[in-house]
Amino acid sequence: MIEVNDLSKSFEDLKRGSVTALERVSFDVQPGEIFGLLGPNGAGKTTCLRIMSTVLKPTSGRAVIAGYDVVDHPEEVRANIGFMSGNTGIYDRMTAWEMVEYYGRLYGIDEPTLQSRLDDIFAVLQMEEIRDLLGSKMSTGMKQKVSIARTIVHDPPVLIFDEPTSGLDVLVARAVLQAIEYLKGQGKCIIFSTHIMREVEKLCDRVAVIHKGRILDSGTVEELEARHNQPDMEELFFELIHRHDHELVAGGVGIAEGV
Amino acid sequence: MVAVLPLLLYPALGLGMLQMTLLFQEQTRTVVILGADDLPAPPLVDGDRFHAAYFEFPGDVDKLHVVTDATSTEDATDIDLGQDESDSEVVNVADQLRDQVHDLVRLQREADESREAGDAVELEVLEGRITALKGEVSEAMSIAAIEVLILVPEGLKQHIAEINEQLAESGQDLSDIDPPRLQIVRNSANEKSLMAYRRVREAVENWEDRLLQDRLASAHLPESFPDPVNPDQIDIARDQQIAANVWSKLFPAMLIVMAVTGAFYPAVDLGAGEKERGTMETLLISPATRTEIVIGKFLTVLLFSMGTALLNLASMGFTGKYMLSIAGAGQMSKLGDVALPPFTSMLWVVLLAIPLAALFSSLSLGLAMFARSSKEGQYYLTPLLMVTMGITVFCLSPGVEITPFYSVMPIMGPALLLKAMLLAGAEASSLYWYSIPVLLTSIGYCALGLWWAIEQFQREDILFRESEQFDLNLWIKHLLRDKEATPSFTEAGICFGMIMLLQLVAMRFMGGATAGLMEDQMPVRMMQLLMVQQLAIIATPALMMGVMLTTSFRQTFRMYWPSLKFLGVAAVLAPVLHPLTVELSQFLGQHFFPQLPESAQRAIAPMLDSNQPWWLVLLAFSIAPGICEELAFRGFILSGFSQRGRTGLAIVMSSVLFGAMHMFPQQVFNAALLGLVLGLLAVRSNSLLPGILFHIMYNGIEVMRNRIDPGFWTTAPMDWLVTVEAVGESTQVRYDWPLLAICGFIATGLITWLLRQSAKIREDRVKGKMSPSRLPGASPA
Repeated sequence: MIEVNDLSKSFEDLKRGSVTALERVSFDVQPGEIFGLLGPNGAGKTTCLRIMSTVLKPTSGRAVIAGYDVVDHPEEVRANIGFMSGNTGIYDRMTAWEMVEYYGRLYGIDEPTLQSRLDDIFAVLQMEEIRDLLGSKMSTGMKQKVSIARTIVHDPPVLIFDEPTSGLDVLVARAVLQAIEYLKGQGKCIIFSTHIMREVEKLCDRVAVIHKGRILDSGTVEELEARHNQPDMEELFFELIHRHDHELVAGGVGIAEGV
Repeated sequence: MVAVLPLLLYPALGLGMLQMTLLFQEQTRTVVILGADDLPAPPLVDGDRFHAAYFEFPGDVDKLHVVTDATSTEDATDIDLGQDESDSEVVNVADQLRDQVHDLVRLQREADESREAGDAVELEVLEGRITALKGEVSEAMSIAAIEVLILVPEGLKQHIAEINEQLAESGQDLSDIDPPRLQIVRNSANEKSLMAYRRVREAVENWEDRLLQDRLASAHLPESFPDPVNPDQIDIARDQQIAANVWSKLFPAMLIVMAVTGAFYPAVDLGAGEKERGTMETLLISPATRTEIVIGKFLTVLLFSMGTALLNLASMGFTGKYMLSIAGAGQMSKLGDVALPPFTSMLWVVLLAIPLAALFSSLSLGLAMFARSSKEGQYYLTPLLMVTMGITVFCLSPGVEITPFYSVMPIMGPALLLKAMLLAGAEASSLYWYSIPVLLTSIGYCALGLWWAIEQFQREDILFRESEQFDLNLWIKHLLRDKEATPSFTEAGICFGMIMLLQLVAMRFMGGATAGLMEDQMPVRMMQLLMVQQLAIIATPALMMGVMLTTSFRQTFRMYWPSLKFLGVAAVLAPVLHPLTVELSQFLGQHFFPQLPESAQRAIAPMLDSNQPWWLVLLAFSIAPGICEELAFRGFILSGFSQRGRTGLAIVMSSVLFGAMHMFPQQVFNAALLGLVLGLLAVRSNSLLPGILFHIMYNGIEVMRNRIDPGFWTTAPMDWLVTVEAVGESTQVRYDWPLLAICGFIATGLITWLLRQSAKIREDRVKGKMSPSRLPGASPA
């Protein structure tokens, strides 16, 4: 469902010149699977997911989603994914229902299907009471629910979540994770980025540890623990990152400090 | 940014103003004098002009064309027979008007009498007849294009001569009397003093009148004595026309200002506001394409802009009318009954609001996309508003009216057309033709603006611009550190900005350097200055920036040997294109562009002056610009624009800028056209040399064209190719149709060949990836 091959992305930056945000990243995700991208802030997770959502164009490499290349067929890719991140806010001047309905129409869903689908989604996510509430009057948790509803309104086969729980309290975060688990049960292909170990251990079938634009290692949680002989995921994560930083210093690769 | 803005804004506005003054030329108006033979002695009219002595500014004389029915001046004006015929036509029309004007005066007198007598019924009848008569007269005058009509009563000359005679007989000689003068002290720089002075002057003048009357009475002289002619002013404006005049000034101005503001705030909200609220990415991941998103936003902004403009106009119209109706006898009542314009005019307001609003909507949207936040977006309103206001003020100045040239300019076209439509009211049939170019070009400008907005929306660096502090120091460091082989798009733009700025600065020096010179030294100094200007202002900035900001000087300035065929094409294209462009710009100059002002003609004059040594003229007008301008425009600027790989767009943009540098409208057009060919040559040959060769040859031909003995052209083998025309004192060579046809044929062939060349080279480049040595005509960088 998702195939990413040698994806690279570099930016021009006023202070630092050319910055490589992503360097030859490759992975693939199957339907019914949750793939976790684990990395500290600024590791390149968001850049990678933005390329997959066609918002950014890769400098080199290829990403194919649901059979469509992100560079050659961006419209088809967008029609087949649901994307949610900290940057995909909701409109202040629309109610929950209007917002989700509007996006449903953008995806070209016919009206009767859309209305029944909206009823289902609002029931499953328990959003009935915020149905006619304006975006500006919602709490963070409510907004997150609307975002999830917006993400799945067109029933896409591929779902991309970029740090969906960041900034949420425990209750809401739990609800979001449950929603993701529910979607996995429906056979969706899900990619999920986070910097929280517990979420990975709990949710993900496979994980990739990403740091400074490179994937350091990937596999199931058990595989990783066995390979590095470290039963604690958190320790394993730090170990990988420190080792990579040391290699960079030793190798004298002139990448500027922390992003 | 806010601080930097004014530093850039005003020089840019200054340059704009300069171009405007070059474009603007007041039209000559027609004045008809009937009974001119009866005008008394010091001559009022001199040929077909008023006597120059009566004008404060000598140039004003030519703004009025005087047509008289005088018998004595006929032999003086019959040089131009065609002119004379249309003049006598005008006199005939005016002759027929004479009786109507006399009727009008009589009716007005009767109306005044019945008003005093309080006869309301009679008054109404008379006023109806006056309005009808005024309508007839003003229509006849506007059809014959008579702006002012002067009727000289029969026997005026004789009458004045008699009075003068009587005075000379009866009076003693008092001409030496010079009484002590009253002195009034005021400060014209002080607003308060100025206002007080105006009142004082009024009182003193009236008091002086009384004094004069007393004096005249004591000398037994008539009251009309100090005003021997004392003309009666007859205003044929009807109430509706006065209203039209008010609306024609207010409506275009309000429409433009409201369309800008109405477009800008929603645009900022939909562009930068979306980034700020964090919904931009939500929108980007929707299945809509980016073009669809921008067009959707554009239509929204357009709706707001139109709505704002039209609602404001409607409200202003009705409120204004109401205020005037309750103002009663106050000062404003002098404006008359300000009736709203007729329905057809209102339709035009709505119709012309569309292209104006569309242009502003697309521009504001582009700016709003660029801004990081709504705050930053709002800073951009100032320059947009300033430029628009400048153009609006220009359009509203009296004397500026729609011409073919203005009709294709952005904002000006719709504004001037609207002004003319409102003035003409129902009699606007001749203006309908203008609506075609105005609407077509407006759609074009709007499409360009929209295309720019879409471009902005597709750039990652603009969509995801982080709010970092703009630091000039950091930016310059970045430019110097992260150099590339060829300059960037921005650097090319800055290079052009520097060239224009230096030109503005240099103008002062040019004026100063030629000020104190004798007539015969002028041309030589002018040419020296031209060469210095070429070197210092055009070539130097480009070369400096090339050295400082790029890693490959050679690649930036295309310092490669071209293959010979490109040099050949350039050498043939120059003489072949010269006749075509010269005739085209001649044609457009006569029918389309305004005339060049005097100062510009003086700068070009040495080129036509056959007394200067030919090598100096060639150096100044052909070799220096050929090399310098090519280095800047086909070197640095074209390389910069094409860095992103869009060569076609880069050629068009560089030639537009190349045109803009030439300032004079005719040259702007010509240079922009030739810029396309030059750009094509440079890109296809990947060398600057064919362009330089073309440029030098083209300018060289232009210089030599008028220096070759006219006899050479008129003898047997050449006489069917060109015609020699007399222009003032010198002669001018004009090309004939057979030659133009041949040239057109060859030029089309060569340019097609150049265009085709592209596909071949690109294919070779793709192959060349494997073996770069096989690249034809281009050495490896």
